[in-house]
Amino acid sequence: MSEEYSAKYQAKLRRLDDAAHLRKIDRVPIAAATLYFPAKYSGITYHEMFYDQQKYEAAAERFAKDFDWDGACFLRSFESVTLGLSLAAADAKTAVNVAVASVLGGGFAHDILKDGYSSHPGRELPEDEESQFAFQGSFMDMEEYDAFAEDPFGFLSSVVVPRVYGSLSAPGSGESNAALVRLGFELADALPKAVAFAKRMVQADCPPWYMALAPNPLDYLGAFVRNFDRLLPDLYRVPEKVRKVCEQLAPVLAEVGKATGTISYELTGSRRVFCPVWYNTYLSPDMFKEFHWRYLKYMAEELIKAGFTPLFSFQGEHDKHLETILELPEGKVIAWFDKTDPRKAKEVIGEHSCIAGGISPSLLIGGTPERVEKEVKELLDAMKGSRGFIFTLPFNAIGPAKIENVRAMTDAVMKYGAY
Amino acid sequence: MAGDLVEALSDLEEERAVALLAERIKAGEDVLALLEEARRGMEIVGERFEKGEYYLSELIYAGEILKRMSESLKEHLPKTSSQRSENVVVMATVRGDVHDIGKNIVIALLEASGFPVIDLGTNVPPEDIIEKLRETGSGMVGLSALLTTAIDSMKETVKAIREAGLGEVKIMIGGAPIDDEARSYTGADAWGRTAQDGVSIVKRWTGYVPASQS
Repeated sequence: MSEEYSAKYQAKLRRLDDAAHLRKIDRVPIAAATLYFPAKYSGITYHEMFYDQQKYEAAAERFAKDFDWDGACFLRSFESVTLGLSLAAADAKTAVNVAVASVLGGGFAHDILKDGYSSHPGRELPEDEESQFAFQGSFMDMEEYDAFAEDPFGFLSSVVVPRVYGSLSAPGSGESNAALVRLGFELADALPKAVAFAKRMVQADCPPWYMALAPNPLDYLGAFVRNFDRLLPDLYRVPEKVRKVCEQLAPVLAEVGKATGTISYELTGSRRVFCPVWYNTYLSPDMFKEFHWRYLKYMAEELIKAGFTPLFSFQGEHDKHLETILELPEGKVIAWFDKTDPRKAKEVIGEHSCIAGGISPSLLIGGTPERVEKEVKELLDAMKGSRGFIFTLPFNAIGPAKIENVRAMTDAVMKYGAY
Repeated sequence: MAGDLVEALSDLEEERAVALLAERIKAGEDVLALLEEARRGMEIVGERFEKGEYYLSELIYAGEILKRMSESLKEHLPKTSSQRSENVVVMATVRGDVHDIGKNIVIALLEASGFPVIDLGTNVPPEDIIEKLRETGSGMVGLSALLTTAIDSMKETVKAIREAGLGEVKIMIGGAPIDDEARSYTGADAWGRTAQDGVSIVKRWTGYVPASQS
């Protein structure tokens, strides 16, 4: 482990790692996707969080020092991912830098690219509303799966990118070229800032809950290209065609996970790679296995082989798919649950893999500190007995939470989480 | 023959359902009766979902098939505005949230169960919901959200509806971040975990007794 890291930072890194690998630890770690909460806590607007890097860094640092969690996450939005991915075959390094532009850099990519994905605070939304990621219609037709599967990067570059990004809608035009050059200028400024921000959080003794990410084929296709309400009927209408595209995307997305995982490890010492899973809630166990798990498993195996720890964020309800985790090697991944009760997950997963979970977001919004403490204690009492539990929160649960409740939750983990 | 359409839709045989419908429209069959068969097919889909035989993806796909069928029936339907307004459910994704998959599934199932629905769409301010309630005389609202932050928006919406002087309005909420804690915080009357819960709530509110149950 690097000597740049303080003893405290190293202890936190180790606690999270040991929990993930089912080793003995001194206390249940607490780590969560902090998202909007540091902004709220420090009194800056959500608009500033996206567009004022200095203020956001200060807010993040203040949150990190005051709450002293084992991990937090300061990533923002995902709108440049498709443009980045379209470059993967042409220039892998640039592809990664572009893909992470909006994740690490804030709102500039949205302004320059005029993407159809997101609306931002202080742009399309009031300054204090959370950014939303959702698009209307579809960026590809059902008839285009064959073309996508045949030449994924050509299709992304020449068909999808012009449809997604308003500024790039006429490839080769002055407007399009200018937007790309401007994005390059901004990136040259934003990337060193992102590196400095990551180091500042290391100095603040706050490891990332996750910094690297690996989207999976089905969710990428649904959330970024086809739109989910179109993709679902496609799974019945043209299942083979959807699968062919997923087959093509899986190895590339695994590489994205490794590349961002390497950046994360070099900057922060964390080997966790965030693998969000979005459409699990909607699929039957058979369809989940066929269209989702097949690729999730492949990507997890690839990441594990390369020395990373996949951090699966099973969003929504995952109850009916729990046993698939048992197909992975023991003690190599973290299974983070959202609406699925960690206690229920433990009944199936046992001590096979590390479980991450927490309490209801609505309790943090509407409850009292006393009730929060009680619920945290109950959860820890139920989960602590086995190795491999990380206290976290459902994805994006914390933004609107009451500050005193987040404080009570943190204190309760420190108090009742000790082994 | 009559059972075929019900069966084709409830078994998710899209092409068969669409072809069969076209054939029977062409043969001059009563379109209202055909619509009733389609509705029954969707109702069976909802029942299978409730029993755990179908999953959300099947509900959504069935909704898609039904949409195609309704489109080909629409041009043959007599124009009517005889919706029983007291049974209209006003549905919306609350202000600050643009996600609509969950809401749309609830709407498809409510309609399949014979409840007329007015869909106000997404990111809907409380004023629009209140105006629609006033206009229709409806006493039932369903609010949806995906984002955790929308819980506060739901609370504001519930408060605005309560203070609008509309008489008794029942409000149900649903969506990813919703649980009983959220129901109590927002002041809503009921919450649903699944789309089928939404239908059960409305049936309870209206005192609905299913004709086919023995």
